[in-house]
Parts: sequence; C-alpha cells; structure tokens
Amino acid sequence: MADLARTGSARALRRHAGHQTGAVRELLGFVLAGDAYAVDLTRIREILTPPPLTRVPRAAADVLGLCSVRGLLVTVLDLRRCVGVAESAPTRRTRLLLTEAEGGEVLGLLVDEVHQVVRLGHGEVEPASSLGADMGDHVMGVGRRDGAMIVILDLAVLLARRPSGAGVRDG
Amino acid sequence: MSDATDKVRDEFFSEAQEIIETLSRNLLALDAAQKAGATDPSLINEAFRAVHTLKGLAGLFGAARMGALSHRLEDVLDDLRLGRMDLDPVALDALFRSIDVFGAVLTAERKEDDAPLPAVDELLERLDQLGAAARRGQAPSSEYDLDPGLLAVLTEYEEHRLHANIEAGFALYRLRVQFELVSIDRALEEMKERAKRHGEIITYLPTGEAASADSIELDLLLASKRDLAALIGALGGDNVVIEPIPRRARSGGAHRPSVAPAGAAGRAQELASIPAAVEPVPAPSDPTLRSVTQTVRVDIRKLDSLMNTVGELAMVRSALHRVFERVRREGQRPLAAELQRLHRTFERRLAELQDGILEVRMVPLGQVFDRLARVVRQIGRELGKEIRLVITGAETEIDKLIVEELSDPLMHMIRNAIDHGIEAAERRASVGKPAVGTIALNAYQKGNHVMIEVEDDGRGIDEEALVSRAVSRGIVQAAEVPQLARSEILALIFVPGFSTRNEASDVSGRGFGMDIVKTNIAKLGGVIDIQSEPGIGTKLTITLPITLAIVSALLVRVADHVYALPLATVSEAIAFDPAGVRVVDRREVMTLRGATLQLCRLDRLFGLGARPGEAGGAPRRFVVVVNVGARRLGLIVDHLFGQQDIVIKALGASLASVKGFAGATELGDQRVGLVLDAASLIEEVLASHDAHRPEASLHG
Repeated sequence: MADLARTGSARALRRHAGHQTGAVRELLGFVLAGDAYAVDLTRIREILTPPPLTRVPRAAADVLGLCSVRGLLVTVLDLRRCVGVAESAPTRRTRLLLTEAEGGEVLGLLVDEVHQVVRLGHGEVEPASSLGADMGDHVMGVGRRDGAMIVILDLAVLLARRPSGAGVRDG
Repeated sequence: MSDATDKVRDEFFSEAQEIIETLSRNLLALDAAQKAGATDPSLINEAFRAVHTLKGLAGLFGAARMGALSHRLEDVLDDLRLGRMDLDPVALDALFRSIDVFGAVLTAERKEDDAPLPAVDELLERLDQLGAAARRGQAPSSEYDLDPGLLAVLTEYEEHRLHANIEAGFALYRLRVQFELVSIDRALEEMKERAKRHGEIITYLPTGEAASADSIELDLLLASKRDLAALIGALGGDNVVIEPIPRRARSGGAHRPSVAPAGAAGRAQELASIPAAVEPVPAPSDPTLRSVTQTVRVDIRKLDSLMNTVGELAMVRSALHRVFERVRREGQRPLAAELQRLHRTFERRLAELQDGILEVRMVPLGQVFDRLARVVRQIGRELGKEIRLVITGAETEIDKLIVEELSDPLMHMIRNAIDHGIEAAERRASVGKPAVGTIALNAYQKGNHVMIEVEDDGRGIDEEALVSRAVSRGIVQAAEVPQLARSEILALIFVPGFSTRNEASDVSGRGFGMDIVKTNIAKLGGVIDIQSEPGIGTKLTITLPITLAIVSALLVRVADHVYALPLATVSEAIAFDPAGVRVVDRREVMTLRGATLQLCRLDRLFGLGARPGEAGGAPRRFVVVVNVGARRLGLIVDHLFGQQDIVIKALGASLASVKGFAGATELGDQRVGLVLDAASLIEEVLASHDAHRPEASLHG
C-alpha cells in the first residue's frame, strides 16, 4: 500500500480505499477485444445477458442504447468504445455489467465475455505509472495471473470523463 | 418606519374599498340581468375576480376575517361561474349581504377592533349552506356513465358543450368508427358532416384498438335528440358501432339530493321531497380548525412511488388486454367476455386510483402567484413605477413539482415587464394611458395543459431595436433580416446571448436572460410564446403540462424504431403525400386545410437511415401533427400503431443533453421505447435557423 500510494494512481486508489480491506483485492475479470481486463468487484451490481437495446439517436458515441432491467431504465455503454479498443459483433458470450455511476445513475457496460472473479494480492499488481506513459489514468494498474496480464480499470475515472452526449450531432 | 407601515395600511384600505365597490356594481348589474331573465357569465366572472383579489389582499395584510369571508364568497362565485349552482334570489341576497358585511369588517379593521362580528359568522354560515346545496347537485356529466379518461381530456369548451347538450335534454351516444388510415382525414370530415344533421359531435378520440394495422378506431361522442334506431339508420354501417351511453342508475334530476343515509330508503324519499333550500343543514363547524386536523403532509417522493406502482399496474392492464384480444381471436367467447369485463373494471378503478393520486399532487398556482404579488410591489417601489397586478385563475391546479420550478421564471418575466415594459408615469400620461401600469397574470386550464400569461400594458417591444441588436451580436445576418417574420423577430429575445449584462438594468439584469427562462420552462415540458404590440403591451404565454406522470401516447414507427408521442400534443394524423411537399426557405412544408405546416423527417433528424425498400415503390407514410401552444409541426413517420398509456421515466444523467426526448417507457414486451418530446422538437425544428442547414434534409 505504501509504495502504491506514492504512484500516480494513488488518487484513484484512495477512492477505492473503502473497499480494500486486507491485502487481497477481489476483481471481476472480463474480456475486451481479446484482452483480459478487470474492475473492482464491489462496483458491479449484476451481470446480465444483454436484453434488447433501444438505440438513442444523437447520444454520445459510446452509448449503445437503453434497456429495462426489471423496470429500471438502464443506459448501456460499450465499454470497448470507452476504453478505445476494437469492437466486434455480439456473441453468445457478450455480457452486460451493471454499475452505479456517480450521482446514482445505473449504467450497463457491454463486455465481450465475463471471466471469473480474480483475487490479487498487492504483490501481484503493478501501478500503471510503472508501465509507461501511454496508459490512460483510467488504468489503475496491471495484475499478473499465471503469466497473463490483466488490465485493472478504474470505473470511476473512466465514467467521469466520458462525453455527456452534448453537441455530438453538430460536431 | 411606522409611517411607511401606515401608508401601506392606508393603501390596503383604499384598494379593498375599491374592490368592494366594484363587486357591488357587478352584483347590481347581475341583479338587473337576472330580472331581465338572463345571466351574464362575464359579470359573475368579474365578481369572482374581484373577490379573489380581495382574498389575496386580505392574506397579504393578515386580515383574517376578510380573508375567510372572501374565501367562502369566492367558492360560491366559482360554483356560480362554473354552473354548479344556479344564480337564484337566495344566492343573490347572500352576495348582496356580503357587501354590507365587508364594509363592517373594513371599519373594524381600520379601528383595529378585534371584537367578534356576529354578522361575519352569520354570513359565512349562509354561504356554507349555499355551497352545500350546490355540491349536492353534481355536474350534469356525472349523470352519464362516461369514461373518466374521456372526461379528463375534454377541453373546457367541449366540456361546456357536453353540459349544455345534457341540460338541453339530449342523449349521449358513442360512435365507435373504424377508419382507413389513408383516408381518415376525408372520412372523418364526412362522418362529422353526416352526424351534424342529427346532433352534435362533442369530441373524438382514438381508442387505441384497431381491426388492422391500416386502420384506426375512433370514439365519437355524439349528443342527439334522436333515438338509437334512428341514429343507426342514419349513420350506421359496417365500420360504425353506435351505442347509447348509459345513464347512471339513479332516479331524479341533477338537483335532487343524492346522498341518503345507508339503509334508510324510506327516509331518503322523504328527504328528496323537501326542496333544497329548506333542507336541514349540517351543524356549522369551524372550517379552519377542521382543515388543520384533517390535513396530512406527504413527502412528494412517496406520491412518486405510489405513481410508479400505478404505472406498473397500467402495464398489467395492458397485458390483460392483450390476453383478452388473444382469447377473442381464438374464438373462446364466454371467456373473452369475462376477461373483457374484468379488464374494464380494472381499467376504471385504476383510472380512479390514478386520478386520486394525481389530485393529491396538484396544488393551486395561487401558491406562486401570492409570492409574485409581493415581488411586483417591491420592484414597483424600486423603480418608482406604480403597478397594479391583476391575477386571474390562481385556483388553477398544476403538479406540485411544476409549481416549485415556476417561481423563478415567472419572477423574471414580471421583472422584465415592469422594468422594460411599463413606461414611466409621465410617459404613460403623454400617450394617454392611465398612470398606473397593469400587469395581468392569468392562468387557466386548456385540455391537458395549463396556460399562464404574463401581460403588461407597456410600450411593447421595439422590433427594430431588437433586430439591430441581434445583428450586432451576430445572431442574425443583416441579409437575412428582411425575410424574418414578426414572430421570428420577437423570438430573438429567447436566443442565448441576446441580452447581456452590460445593457441590463439593476432589476432585470443579473446575467439572467430570457433564454434561461425558456430553458427552465422547457425542462418542465412547456413552451413559451411571445406577442407584442408597439405602444399597447407585451404578452408572454407559457404552456405547461398539468402533470408529469402517466400519459396516453400514440405509438409510431420511424425506420425500424418505435417511438411514443404523448397524445396531449398530437392534434391529428394524416396520410403523407410526398407530391404535396414544397420547399420554402430551405424548409419542407405542406398545406393542411389552407395553412402551412412545416414538416420534420424524423428519420433524417435522428440519422436513422432509409428503410430497405424505400428506393423502390415508396411505402405509405404518415404525418403526425403535433402542437404545443400556437406552434405546430408535422412529424413524418412510417407507421402508426395506436394508443397506449405509458409511464414516462426520465433518461439518466448520461443522456440528459440528448435533444428531442421526454424520457423512455416500457412498451410492455420488455422493450424500451423513447418518448418524443413534441415541445423540444418544435423548438429545435421551428426556432433554429442554423440547425436546418444540412443540404441533405432538403430534398424529398
């Protein structure tokens, strides 16, 4: 914890400090464009098979549409577009992660496939800053599991900086 | 300090005196009209307004006795005004008595004499009796078993016609007619023409059920003195079902008392034979004490959650109806009939529940207006202008949430009117206007909307100054100026960046322009319009929905998307004729009954792309005419599905800036449909000059 706190993503980590009891972190692993990613498990409310989506004309580019989850209106974002990786057609494995954004709005995040819950000790996570400058600040760090790399995303940062949809049509 | 207070008190007395004198004049005129055998509704209206102003004044100065008296008097006049009570000599006597009692109250107030005035209590009791007698006779429409949903959407005029017809002894019929969508325009006119010979069509509404996708079913409410057989002979046909609307099981006329103690039928008859005027009156009780003990404060969020439950029940209702349809198609008649009965009962009770909850949410606009009255006083003083504020329709009710949000925009509009509209006293004198400027604040209900007008008798808007400022700010190009219509010029004041801080005065400035007012009104689903005559005055009109909860909507398809359009904003749907489209000033328009209607191709606006097969034989499309306030727009859609009750859910914060939608709703098959926001579409398409420049949208 001490060495992580000196790094560039200390701010992001502190935001999650409440969820980090003990040395082991629970993350939900998933796939975007063939690569392994993970987010803090406590941020995910539910994992769903994507229901039919309704497109919202003139919304921001990363908005896939709207759906209803037991009466609750959910705005669905393409997490691949948020992160900036290649998209592909939905498959049997495509899933929707429900998360609560700041302000209470429930968002659905579309991912290519959901893996299992990963538990990583601190020794297994490298801070993003030690990996080179080209990582966005939405990357909290990189974990290693069985020799494979898992990019750990900071959803709070990722969702806070997305465009709100204003002026998309005119611009 | 005490000098100022005395001065205000003096003003209060002289104004109250003046109003009472006006009231007295009105009553005398009413009496004369009554003796001549006619009742002039405008006189009753005037009396009502006078008493209403008196009530507001009494509230402002804490004159409780006067407030209580004018409040009760207002109720009685309201009953008279809306025809709930007849203006007979008994009522007139009580009204005349009020003039004397008001005089006595004023004298006592002036002497600061708090001794009880028996005359006040006596008159209050008399007015109570009148009111109680009136409430026993209900609105004439309650004699008929009319769908409350239908009653709720009648415009004031339609309601008036309904009552007039019932009072004239005509019977009500429901004509359920299937129209082909392609020809509905013409066919409906024909139907109306034919029906006119046999009675009066009071209103017509889509039922939301249609035999096929190419047809639409309408219910026409017809008042006629002919019997059913004659009407079937005259108007019947394959596509027309005529049914008499049953009267409620109740004998006797509207003015007979209908309340009887349970299980005392004999006694009820006895009571019924006693004329209303000498009926035993319930023991007088202290009205204020009662209202305190019988009122509960409710958090509006609790009402929201109840409303959500009702919304979910409405979906159950829709599902039930689909089951009924399926069972009927499968030919299981007895089961279908039973389901239909259940469905109807459910529908009726649900509507009652919904109305009940909505009613609780409603508060009179008077809540904001009272605050504005004080603002007017204060600003008038600051600017050294004498202003008379005339309020009508403060009793008009609207959703509590809307009222909360109205206060700031209205305050700003009034500030503007006093600051920029009303001229200084000398100037007014030189053009022959009364020295005291008048600001009228009028509210009334119109169908499912509430209209609020802020009108001043000031100098009006200087259009040339407006245009030159707009040009200097780069809002319009000098070359465009000659083409601007008057309404477009006036609308410039709503353009962001038009009014700026350095030109605004102390009062109306503060960096808060009319564009903010407009945005705030739009957030409530309303629109604002402006009219102005140089030298005569300016009128701003706000049109707002009554409530933000459940609405009936027309479902339409554009490309392969289903959208819901709240019916309150839909005036008609007609077949689209591409040959009738002309391009005027780069906008597509068509002619509808002699008037120009601007069109909006939703598929292009939303970038939905052409439907497969459009290139080939052009498919039939439709124009749905939406209107908000005086402005209308024709939305071109591919298909009409019919009507459905929907609960509008707000879009999440991440979609807050997406234009054109009021929210989303569940369509009942797990899919979500976007709800089009007619107000914002009209705004976007009609008002914006720049947004419609893309060449692609210009050719049919």
